[in-house]
Amino acid sequence: MASSHDADTAGITRRKSLAALAGAGALGLAGCTQSTDGGDGGDGSDGGDGSDGGDGSDGDSSLSGPINIAGSSTVFPLMSAVMEDFAEMHPDVDPDISSTGSGGGFSNFFCTGDTDFNNASRPIQPEEEALCEENGVEYVELIAATDALTVVVNPDADWIDSLTTEELAQIWRSDAAETWDEIRDEFPNEEIERFGAADTSGTYDYFIEAILGEDGHTGDYQATEQDNTIAQGVAGSEYAIGYFGFAYYFQNPDQLKALGIDDGDGPVEPSLETASSGEYTPLSRPLFTYPSIESLGEEHIAEFARYFVEQTTNEDLVAGDVGYVPATEETQEEQMSILEDAIEQAQG
Amino acid sequence: MATDNPNADGFGEVSRVRGIAFEYLSFGASVFGLVALGVLLVYVAIDAFDLANASPEWLLTYFLTLVGPFLAFCLYSANDPEVTRRALGALGGGLVVVAALFSAIEAFVAPIPRLNWQLAYLFVVAAPTTAYLAYVGSRGRLGAVGFGLLGRLVGGVAIGLAVGTLFLVFDALLWFLAYTLGVLPAVGLYAFGRVRSAPRARTAAAPVGLVGLTAAVFLRDVVATYPSDLIIYLWTIAVPVAAAGALLVADRSGRTAGVLVGGLPLAVATAGGFLAAGAGLPAPTVLLVLVLTGVPTAAYVSRVVDVGEGVVGLALPFLLAAGVIVGALIVEALGVPAPDPWLDASYLTEAPSRTPSEAGLYPAIVGSVIIIAMVAVLSFALGVGTSVFLEEYTPESGPLGTLTRILQVNVANLAAVPSVVYGLLGLGLFANLLGLGIGTAVTAALTLSLLILPITIISAQEAIRSVPDDLRRGSDAMGATRWQTTKNVVLPEAMPGILTGTILALGRAIGETAPLIMIGAATTVFRAPDSLFSRFSAMPMQIYTWAGFPQADFRYGVVAAGVITLLIILVGMNGSAILLRNRAERGS
Repeated sequence: MASSHDADTAGITRRKSLAALAGAGALGLAGCTQSTDGGDGGDGSDGGDGSDGGDGSDGDSSLSGPINIAGSSTVFPLMSAVMEDFAEMHPDVDPDISSTGSGGGFSNFFCTGDTDFNNASRPIQPEEEALCEENGVEYVELIAATDALTVVVNPDADWIDSLTTEELAQIWRSDAAETWDEIRDEFPNEEIERFGAADTSGTYDYFIEAILGEDGHTGDYQATEQDNTIAQGVAGSEYAIGYFGFAYYFQNPDQLKALGIDDGDGPVEPSLETASSGEYTPLSRPLFTYPSIESLGEEHIAEFARYFVEQTTNEDLVAGDVGYVPATEETQEEQMSILEDAIEQAQG
Repeated sequence: MATDNPNADGFGEVSRVRGIAFEYLSFGASVFGLVALGVLLVYVAIDAFDLANASPEWLLTYFLTLVGPFLAFCLYSANDPEVTRRALGALGGGLVVVAALFSAIEAFVAPIPRLNWQLAYLFVVAAPTTAYLAYVGSRGRLGAVGFGLLGRLVGGVAIGLAVGTLFLVFDALLWFLAYTLGVLPAVGLYAFGRVRSAPRARTAAAPVGLVGLTAAVFLRDVVATYPSDLIIYLWTIAVPVAAAGALLVADRSGRTAGVLVGGLPLAVATAGGFLAAGAGLPAPTVLLVLVLTGVPTAAYVSRVVDVGEGVVGLALPFLLAAGVIVGALIVEALGVPAPDPWLDASYLTEAPSRTPSEAGLYPAIVGSVIIIAMVAVLSFALGVGTSVFLEEYTPESGPLGTLTRILQVNVANLAAVPSVVYGLLGLGLFANLLGLGIGTAVTAALTLSLLILPITIISAQEAIRSVPDDLRRGSDAMGATRWQTTKNVVLPEAMPGILTGTILALGRAIGETAPLIMIGAATTVFRAPDSLFSRFSAMPMQIYTWAGFPQADFRYGVVAAGVITLLIILVGMNGSAILLRNRAERGS
């Protein structure tokens, strides 16, 4: 009995479901069709003239395509903030960004032609230039913003307020001082605990260039790419010292104490003002991004590069949201003309 | 002889101290790990849901409207006065003990950060008691029905979302052609062959399907006009699911019930899909969620009504929904300050942002789900294939046997290779040499599959090895070929073990960051990937980046919400695999 019953009901329902299928098919025919000629928009577009205000209202919505960016973790917050706005304006542009460190980005991705931009917290180095040349990757250098490399100590360390550049070098060079009283006699006789940037980081390279020079960086320190780790290490000990980009200190001013740096004209504390006025030397440094010229030949990438340079003077974004020093109007004009030349070269 | 026997004067005394000490040591070891994990999860949950800012009134409101009725339901289902007494004792006594202990620690030892005694009570007493009662309640018929219905609702939504996510990258138009030309005719032929017992039709099914699939690939670019996405999903997924549900139920309880079970959810889903399209929501996903939730739910309700036992249990989802709504109304009416959780709807549906309150995980969630789905398929197929070959087909002695053993040792060693090495392999082999692209979903899925392949192989081998040889010999004695024995005896018997290993391995794959960094997966993307060859980000990558942001809101709130999301998806994935495994265990 069971089997005949099964076959019977199964047959009926199958018929019913076929009817339902037919109904759905009819619906499909009745309306709602799409065609498949989507493809590659964006090449024939006029592409805006770049120098117009940059409020985003000119949003050329015909732009489309991916933008691949890698590089410095210091520039990462700035670049990803600009990308966020650009992605909102152009729904068909598909940007992505990786935080690989300046050197890692150049050698693994940019100079092998896999990314369109590389961010760097120091200028490109000779061996990276050679690698790029070897692979036929041409690029231009754009200044993104200015960072004030910040030297921090524990907020409880009331015995220290500033250091001269020589004292800083004594703490961080390869034959570094062991205890604080070797630096200055009135400092306590306690061991120095050092927290700094890892050697893949542009911050590390810049610190060597600006402070240590030939002496080289000590290996006796906690090296990391994460500013949090440095901050937590320094916050954990009264005799610790660390350095990192200004953004972390800017967002958490109470957690750590920033030291004034004395480059011969008295101690200057890091701030947006002292860094943009040029008083905070030698630790205020430019941040860069390197677009590949070949990529600039694509209109959506050229437009993004223009948008980025426009945004480098945007105080709310660069200083307020990210914590870097915005570019001046002159710098921006200079960068824009460099960029326009490169775009012209690329799009010929 | 008697003089040599040390036990000549009886057995003497054996010290039990060592045994007792060992017992407590092992107890301590297990408690240490669990408590550490528990504390971590409690703090992550507090950050993610902003519970530190939840007022006691808010907690009390929801305890009374949501947790209380749920506990009552479980107790009613368990119908055991002893359990009731114990539960009330734990809840009441726990309140006093936790409050007293917490105040004592705060007063005499050290203040406990970000925690108050109400929260401590919630996590230390209320949550375990609820879990216990849910377990006890689910053993009664009433509770079983309630949880069964709840499970189908939640599971349907999860599967609907997952399928919707997968179709973000898989070409819906190609799938439409493949289904229409390949899958449907093949299934039709096969079913026809079974019903009319025409073996030729059944044999023809596979070739017909293959021809259809090939034709679909060729026609993909030739055909210029397609139905809209909504129609495609309706035709290729909703209708078959509804039809399958209808057939199943019609088999069991007659054709009216079958038509109802298939047709009602289908109608609701279709209407929902078109309404969603009008409202600007992602219509295909709405359709999929509704139909994949509706059909199993309807089928389950029909079965429960047929059986006629524990029908009241079907009220459980309504009880919970009512609890949430009433709680929200009371909170609104009394103006109780409610917490503002980081993990909310916008977090799950928005792109990352530089502002913590606007930051979302959506593109990374989609990336992770797609990768893990591909990894699951790849590693299961490759792992089971390899282990079946190694266990069933290779000889055990001779030069080939030695080779097999060498291979086995190497596979076992591969399981211990650090994941960074697999990342390098992926970068060199898949991304550069095979040209699959740096940081694409395909490269990532292949790399992660390789990474967990040794674990899958080893566990599948263990499972296959544990199938008693008697079964194989018995099958041989019946005249079965080796393929028939493997297919009908060994694999069904070993399936639960194989699935267990795969689940563990997948859990590892979803949390991996190092290989993804090596193959150049993006840290942040702003759109969900739309093809297998687009750059993507995965949840661990995005969470790691946020952990390095300078703003405290990112490091605590947003990261915690990400961790919870990752855990929920992991639990969902494991849960479905465990359900599959239990089904396989019951079947064998």
